[in-house]
Formats: sequence, C-alpha cells, structure tokens
Amino acid sequence: SCSSWLPQRVPLRCSHWQSSLLEVRTSPPVRAQPKKKKKVDVKKEQAQKERMKKKLKKLEKAAPELIPIEDFIAPLKYSESNRVRSLPALSPEESERRVLLLKKWCLFKQKQDEAEKKAIKALVESQQEALKELRLEGEELYQAAIRRDEGLFPFERDGPSYTPPLPGYDPPEGKCIDVTKVYTQ
Amino acid sequence: DALLGCHRSYRSRPTHGIGKFKYLLPKEVPKKRKEKVQMKEISAGTEYQYGDVNIQMTSYDLCLVERFAQYVHRLCNRLSIQVNESYAMPTKTSEVLFLEERGSKMQLDAVLTSHQRIVQIRGLSSTFAPILLEVIQSNQPEGLHLLVKQHTEADFKSRLKSRPELEELLAQMS
Repeated sequence: SCSSWLPQRVPLRCSHWQSSLLEVRTSPPVRAQPKKKKKVDVKKEQAQKERMKKKLKKLEKAAPELIPIEDFIAPLKYSESNRVRSLPALSPEESERRVLLLKKWCLFKQKQDEAEKKAIKALVESQQEALKELRLEGEELYQAAIRRDEGLFPFERDGPSYTPPLPGYDPPEGKCIDVTKVYTQ
Repeated sequence: DALLGCHRSYRSRPTHGIGKFKYLLPKEVPKKRKEKVQMKEISAGTEYQYGDVNIQMTSYDLCLVERFAQYVHRLCNRLSIQVNESYAMPTKTSEVLFLEERGSKMQLDAVLTSHQRIVQIRGLSSTFAPILLEVIQSNQPEGLHLLVKQHTEADFKSRLKSRPELEELLAQMS
C-alpha cells in the first residue's frame, strides 16, 4: 500500500532488516547473544554417542530368546476344573474283542513296516547294481552320477486330498487375516 | 592360629572322622545355568553329501503333524542318518472371513492354527536322497504340506524373538 505514493527513483526496502535504503547488507544482522562455541556441541554429541554405545552393549549382552511355542503350553482352563470322566465298565467279551483287534492291528502294521524295509533295501540294492554297471561303462559317467543334485532342494509337495476338486465350484469371497501373537524381546 | 588350623585325625583310632557331618546332608544339585541360544555351525556338505537339510512339515492338524514328524525322525534313525535337531516352529493363527451372499459385512468363518515341525538332518548321501524322499512322499498323509530345503541362518533367525530396540539403535548408529 505504501508503494503507490512513493516516487519511482527511491528504491524499496527488500527486508525489514535493511534499515538504510542506499546501502546493501553484506552479512546477516548480529544477534544479541554471541554464537555458542563449537566445543560444547562436540562434547554433548560425544556424550550422547557414548550413552547409545552403552545401551547397545547392554542390549547385545542379553542372549536372543526363542519364541515360545503355544502348542506345548497347555491352556489353564484344562487344568483348573476337577471333573473326571466316568467310563462304563467293559464286559469281558468286549475287552477280549478289543485285545484281539489290537493284536490284529499290530500284526498288520508289522507286515506293512517289514514290506517298507524290504522295499527300501531292494531300491538301494538295485541302485548300487546300476551304479556298478555304469562304472563299467565309463568312469566319467559314474562320477557325474555320484555327484549331488543342486536342483533337488528346495523340494515342495502338498499332501494328497481325500476328494478331487469339485468342477465348477464357486467359492465365496473372503480373506485371511494373520493374527499370530508377535513376541518382542 | 596354626594350631587350630591342623586337622589331625588318627586313622587307626575309633574317633577317626568323628566330626564329619556333610555325608548326612542331602546332595546339593549344582545350579543349572541358562544355556545361551547359539546357532550351531551350518555344514555345507561335500560334493557327494548334502549339508544340513530341513524337512519341514506343515499342517492345520496338530496331532497329524506331530505323529508324522515322529515317524520321519524314527525313519532317519533306522536308516542311520544323523539327525541334528527336531523342533517345532511357532504356531500361526489366522482368521478366515468370508463375504455373505446378501450383505456387505465380512463374517467370521473359522480360526485356523497352522503347525509346523522341522527335522534337521546332516550327511545325506547324494545316492540315498531320492530314495528317502520317495519313502517320505509315499507315507505323506492328507493335509500335510512337505518342504525339504537346505538349512540357512535366516531359518534359524526366524525362530528367535524380534528385538526392535536393538534394531532401532543399530539404525541410529550407522
């Protein structure tokens, strides 16, 4: 608003620090207090750094802890109540039947286990025979076959499913939220 | 003082060991010091042997995964494969929400807990590895996800608790 009536030849003040209109300020205006010396700053910084280092040492001294596994911690509600299950008494025929069934199951599982051991043995033997024959064919081929396979790991496989997937099944929309408890030390 | 210090007891005399009483006190069990959780050295393995291999079994069914881990452990023992460790990873809980047919609100369907067990083996020979994998695969139950991979430091670190303060300080320092 004051610029409207000032004559054009008088220059305007750039800032309020510029008290005279003809001179130009070469340096910023001096404050009332003299500037703080640099030594105090450096000391403060060093003290801060040392404090941080001490804190770091203390934290590093504490050994890292394993995350507690919730599977192995029984919830309290199962140990608080004193209720006891009362089962009906078994008749001798029933207990006899159960024992015989258990024996049959044991025998079945034993046969299964032995068959598995036999199969593993057969696999290993046939593998050794094949490697022997390969060695006779050529030493280089044998050495290349003995080497470990880098592409074997990582090996991933989903378990088989009870039923095949339904054709044309439209699942409802939804989402999964991970609510695992995060433990911090 | 020297006279009081000497404990002379004549072994032939009936008064030998008359002042002993420590044998009457109950045995003191030495205090168990907390063992620091340290990472064991990860072997890289030679050209004909794999180093540390992790067999990770994941499932939503706890009993199933435990029984299968026991089976794999026993199988490795039987086949004389060295088992370093057999441990469990922390359980992961997740909430499954689904969108109702007529409505915009998400409804809670179920809370699922995912369990994981790891059997760590060492010194698996290159010729026997495919046989072992074949056996484990043939016995894999339904709903169990199998993953066999090399053991790394990152795998070990994932078992430990996170330390945000330490990380913050380290970030500030550097």
